[in-house]
Amino acid sequence: MTAIRQWLKNISFTYASIYTLVSFRILFGLMLFFSTLRFILNGWVNDLYITPKFYFTYYGFDWVHPLSPLGMQLLFGLLIILSLFISLGLFYRLSTTAFFCIFTYIELIDKTNYLNHYYFISLISFLLIFLPAHQYFSIDTYIGITKKTKKVHAWTINILKFQLAVVYIYAGISKLNYHWLIEAQPLSNWLKHQSDLPLIGGLMEYDFTAYVFSWGGALFDLCIPFILLNRKYRLFGYALVVFFHVLTSLMFPIGVFPFVMIVSTLIFFSEGFHEKLISGVQKIIPFRFEMRNPKLILPPSKKSRKILSSLLGLYITIQLLVPMRYLFYDGKLFWNEQGYRFSWRVMLIEKAGYTQFYIHDQIGRKKLIDNSTYLTKQQEKMMSTQPDMILQYAHHLRDEYSDTLIIEGKEKIYLKIPKVTADIRVALFNKGNRQFIDPNMNLSNVKRGLHQKKWVLDYEE
Amino acid sequence: MNNPTFQISHARVRLVFSILLTSISFISCKKKGCIDPNATNYNAQAQVEDNSCTYADFNRAEMLGNICDNYIVPAYNNFNSQTTSLKDITTAFSNERSLENFLAIRAQWREALLSWQDVSFIDFGPAEFIVLKNQVNLFPADTTLINTNIALGGYNLEYSSNNVAKGFQALDFLLNQTNLSDQEHVNYFINNNDATSYILDLAINLQVNSQSVINNWSTYRSSFINNNSSNAAGSSVSNLVNGLCSHYETYIRKGKIGLPLGIFNGFSQQEMPELVECYFYGQSLPFAYRAIESMKTYINGQSYNDNTEGLGLDDYMDHVGATSGNTNLSVEINNQIDEILTSLMAINDPLSNEILTNKNGVTLCYSKLQELVPLMKLDMTSALGVLITYQDNDGD
Repeated sequence: MTAIRQWLKNISFTYASIYTLVSFRILFGLMLFFSTLRFILNGWVNDLYITPKFYFTYYGFDWVHPLSPLGMQLLFGLLIILSLFISLGLFYRLSTTAFFCIFTYIELIDKTNYLNHYYFISLISFLLIFLPAHQYFSIDTYIGITKKTKKVHAWTINILKFQLAVVYIYAGISKLNYHWLIEAQPLSNWLKHQSDLPLIGGLMEYDFTAYVFSWGGALFDLCIPFILLNRKYRLFGYALVVFFHVLTSLMFPIGVFPFVMIVSTLIFFSEGFHEKLISGVQKIIPFRFEMRNPKLILPPSKKSRKILSSLLGLYITIQLLVPMRYLFYDGKLFWNEQGYRFSWRVMLIEKAGYTQFYIHDQIGRKKLIDNSTYLTKQQEKMMSTQPDMILQYAHHLRDEYSDTLIIEGKEKIYLKIPKVTADIRVALFNKGNRQFIDPNMNLSNVKRGLHQKKWVLDYEE
Repeated sequence: MNNPTFQISHARVRLVFSILLTSISFISCKKKGCIDPNATNYNAQAQVEDNSCTYADFNRAEMLGNICDNYIVPAYNNFNSQTTSLKDITTAFSNERSLENFLAIRAQWREALLSWQDVSFIDFGPAEFIVLKNQVNLFPADTTLINTNIALGGYNLEYSSNNVAKGFQALDFLLNQTNLSDQEHVNYFINNNDATSYILDLAINLQVNSQSVINNWSTYRSSFINNNSSNAAGSSVSNLVNGLCSHYETYIRKGKIGLPLGIFNGFSQQEMPELVECYFYGQSLPFAYRAIESMKTYINGQSYNDNTEGLGLDDYMDHVGATSGNTNLSVEINNQIDEILTSLMAINDPLSNEILTNKNGVTLCYSKLQELVPLMKLDMTSALGVLITYQDNDGD
């Protein structure tokens, strides 16, 4: 026990060089800058946050609404500026806090756009708020509003390593399933369309290749944090990181995620490496950031150590537990997707859905809804396979048609709170589409929430 | 939950057993090898699958080349020669307005519209570029606008606002006028030079558009075949499949049967007989039948002229081992198409009347059409890896 306590104390409250944090701040800030810029240039601000008429909010966050079109554009403009501020270390605490709040707010608007790497960015920008990454080689210290520091407490670096390890290890654990390992699904299907890849394209036709990729991918995810932690194998591990992520970015439309990981994993490198990196940058820029009279940081008092330890412990516990919450739900995870998000499950399933929603009137007739009236193509696509979104959309339709008088020809139809049903076909792993929910279930009355969605039919193997 | 039995996870049981079985098979004396007869290294003596199967490299370029050269181009050529012939016959009629020439127009109009069905679902590339489907066969036609155009003249058929007053359906209205005998139609055109020049303009417009598409295909062909490096959005496979699926869903299933049947008409589901294709002609089903039949030829990579088998989407689906239930997806899709054809055979024209008198028959037809949608839109697109991605994704 005492050994563990001592170890925890060592990785938290011993001193470490600030260079690691500084280069992480600079590189991660640049990463944020380029990915936000790319987002804007692709016209996604408009497509995702201005065009839609309806947004799929997260349970408990229904109060989150998008701003006006101009407001949304300004927010993204602000993110661009803030990301540069973070990189430069200007008004660092304010910039990181504002970046975290704005970015997370935008992510909370519509779960259609949920991506694990956006969640990752939210978490890292949250952590950055509390890390003294601006206390050297930053505009804040250059202009003197922040004192320079040479040493930081080890936890400030190790919490980032922990976060990265969580991403990889949980991604690895989620691959340990029947489909991934035994059927090599979904890769065996995806790879067959990749025969155009340079050099290795010819291998894609073989079943064997899909197994190599599946098992290799799982092994990579599970082992890479440990390889990177080991000084001896670090360079080899980083070469693997670069190879793995570049390959996936060539093969799949996963955007900037591979590059976020390639940059972030540099945190595992030694202080010396980061010091060299910073001195290298120092040589090519005209501003001098000499380390004169650094502020001495004192060992934390016993009380602040206790508070800090419990906060870190809380964060770590949450990070470890959240991806496991799917265990509380019955049924096939890939089918009902309960507890699927925020769990580092990437590239795991091949799934597509087709929905027909009906509004019922008082005398049992039903009207077929044209989804494109309410949803964008992307929203419809994401909704079609995810029960919580199906329910939200059904409730939206209920509300749209509640207390409404509809005139059809000579007929007047009054709807109080109409029954809403949906006929949904979902195909998982190319095994033929199946009925997804009970087509007679009145979704109008079904409560939203985190409880088991019993109205989703069991997956018939 | 009161019962303290534990739950067996079938997935995990299978996992454990699969690992066990694989290990056992490695040390057992059973002959290992590829046991899939479709594989190139099929081993007839093998008893145990060892995942060594290799398959002939599926050549997307060859499939695209086959579909292009043996279906798309000949089908457009035929469409173009039919509209050219329609234009010639209409010209002849405008010069000599005889009953014989009039009946020739009507017969050729029907032939040309049938040939349109063969190319309607090639809804991408040159055809999509000029929105051919709207220029050629938008229905219902706006009869008021047609009469106004004839009366006032000075219309420009290139304006998209005139799409509802041109094409086959405008001709349907003018060639098959209600309560007029054939001779009375001839008299109508004899007494109405503006109407005569209008149908000539319509025929010319059809021909110009079909000519433009076939011309464009001669240059588009190479980029179509070469754009095969992936099936991502914008690739040829993706264009072809998306064009097919969305055209089928919207213009065949919905447009030809669903809309007139009232499926999309609110709560009342009131039938809308006047929305059928060729309402005035009184025959809609031959066109629907032809569209479905041609779609089948197209999906199966058969040649347009003699139905010779070639590399098609069906082979591609088989190549990736797509199944639906216990059957191959390609078989399932073909079966569903056959069921649609059978159900179409079981109902009678005029469809506008049939949806009122034999609603059950038409509804059955519609449900058969409907069942094909998820098979194509979900199963086929996922099998071929052409799932539309508008933004980045996690691959989920």
